Amino acid sequence: MANFNLKDRVIECKIVYYGPGRGGKTTNLQYIHKAFKKQTTGEMVSINTKGDRTLFFDFLPLGLGKIKGCEIKVQLYTVPGQVRYSSTRKMVLKGVDGVVFVADSLSVRRKENMLSLKDLQQNLAEQKKSIFKIPLVLQYNKRDLAKESIPLLSVKLMERELNRKLKIPSFPASALKGTGVGATLQECLKLTLQHLQRELKWAG
Amino acid sequence: MKSLVKEAELYRTQGLLEESKERYLEVLQLIEKNQRFQNNKKAINVIKDRIVGLEKDLAEIDQETEAPELSGKVQDLIKNLFSFSQNKDAAEMEGAVALARFGQYERALAEFNRLLDKGTLPLIAAKNVLRCHLALSSTDAAIDQFRKWLSGELLSKKQLRDIRSFLEYVLKRKGIQTKLPEVVGGTSQRPKEAGSEGGFLDVCSVTIRLESGPCKGSTKELDVTFQSGNVISLIISAKDKDLVDSFVPGIRLRGVHFFSSICVFRANGIVSEWTSIKTGPRRGDYVLSITIDRSDKLDIL
Ligand SMILES: Nc1nc2c(ncn2[C@@H]2O[C@H](COP(=O)(O)OP(=O)(O)OP(=O)(O)O)[C@@H](O)[C@H]2O)c(=O)[nH]1
Ligand SMILES: [Mg+2]
Repeated sequence: MANFNLKDRVIECKIVYYGPGRGGKTTNLQYIHKAFKKQTTGEMVSINTKGDRTLFFDFLPLGLGKIKGCEIKVQLYTVPGQVRYSSTRKMVLKGVDGVVFVADSLSVRRKENMLSLKDLQQNLAEQKKSIFKIPLVLQYNKRDLAKESIPLLSVKLMERELNRKLKIPSFPASALKGTGVGATLQECLKLTLQHLQRELKWAG
Repeated sequence: MKSLVKEAELYRTQGLLEESKERYLEVLQLIEKNQRFQNNKKAINVIKDRIVGLEKDLAEIDQETEAPELSGKVQDLIKNLFSFSQNKDAAEMEGAVALARFGQYERALAEFNRLLDKGTLPLIAAKNVLRCHLALSSTDAAIDQFRKWLSGELLSKKQLRDIRSFLEYVLKRKGIQTKLPEVVGGTSQRPKEAGSEGGFLDVCSVTIRLESGPCKGSTKELDVTFQSGNVISLIISAKDKDLVDSFVPGIRLRGVHFFSSICVFRANGIVSEWTSIKTGPRRGDYVLSITIDRSDKLDIL
């Protein structure tokens, strides 16, 4: 439900970072806030609970400048990953244009990744959106921990379990170090803007 | 074993407390089995301390007091970010409901009053004003407010009658016996339709038959404190531990009876969330949200 102001030629779109609790969604946004200072157009807002878990959402506004004669504004959100905040997740997901799914590479979070992806599919369906059609990219986060000899899921296994049916772009990453964060966001923005171009027939 | 400890520590710093506890328990088992370590009381105690600490953190998270009072700036942001409708009136109402949904009752109350004053969706605004008073646990304030409306010009007789029956019903369900002042003048017919919430009837209370958990097989009657479209919220006392444990997020509730001020209907619902209240007289109690299934056929009884 991107907001397209035809008169001023401004497009405002909404990208949501989704994924299991503690997977690194907030860390992604924190890195973007730091590394893309020039593009951020306002403060990052985080509403947290104990131990930095997201309670309601994180919010970061970006401005991408003009693309094909249109001013592009982007709102980045994260949802709370903890299972119990289901209705908040639905609320934050409302009107979403593109999704980054942050999967946790830790072996101990294998099941949680799959459950969260399923939860995303259901919540999109409630908005009459299909997980197969919405602009969506996958991120396999915390790859830096391979060096620390902590048990990780292999990228191959994660591809098989999470991306076999979706067949979408995926990125190994370390949100903590910043590796892969920019690439993930850029791909999601590319897909989202292409999708909006088709839908809004902007820049025909 | 060293690598197990390392894992356990990492999970702990990442907030994966269950996973961390499991690893520490494994470590403990290993130590207790192994001759070499058995007498190492110090190591055993360190691990045990860690486990106790994790259990404490887990328990704290479990009964976390949510819904913090947010700054005015953040409240403004919520109001703006969570209003989607193209229609300006509906969008403003959505923003105010979002504040209530995020537990910002005082601010939501101010918003609903503002909307009512300028005549935006007055019936919905007025009922939400009453709901906010009731969520803040001030029944008297709700009744006073109704009295004020009666003597003012803000609402039509027809609307006042609708609101009166809504308030009367809610109070009755709370076990409060008060004679609300009558609405005099205008036509005395009963309102034909209930005020609707985005196409949904106002729900005052529900009865739910529990099919699992500690209260399995019993039927519970609960009051609705808040509603936004097809999502209703109920407050459950922290003392009612069994009831709190019965509503696991995600469980389906079949054949729930929804009582509105003018009719009863039956539909399925899903427990979508619970949070606990941080401030005010209901501090420590829980707010439970149930999403009424729109796809199910509503059986008006
Ligand atoms: N080693 C490592 N740790 C990470 C990485 N990304 C996140 N973390 C850590 O994982 C923990 C959780 O990160 P968050 O960004 O808060 O996770 P979240 O997905 O926002 O969690 P919720 O808000 O509960 O849904 C924190 O301790 C982070 O420092 C990463 O790439 N590598
Ligand atoms: Mg977070």
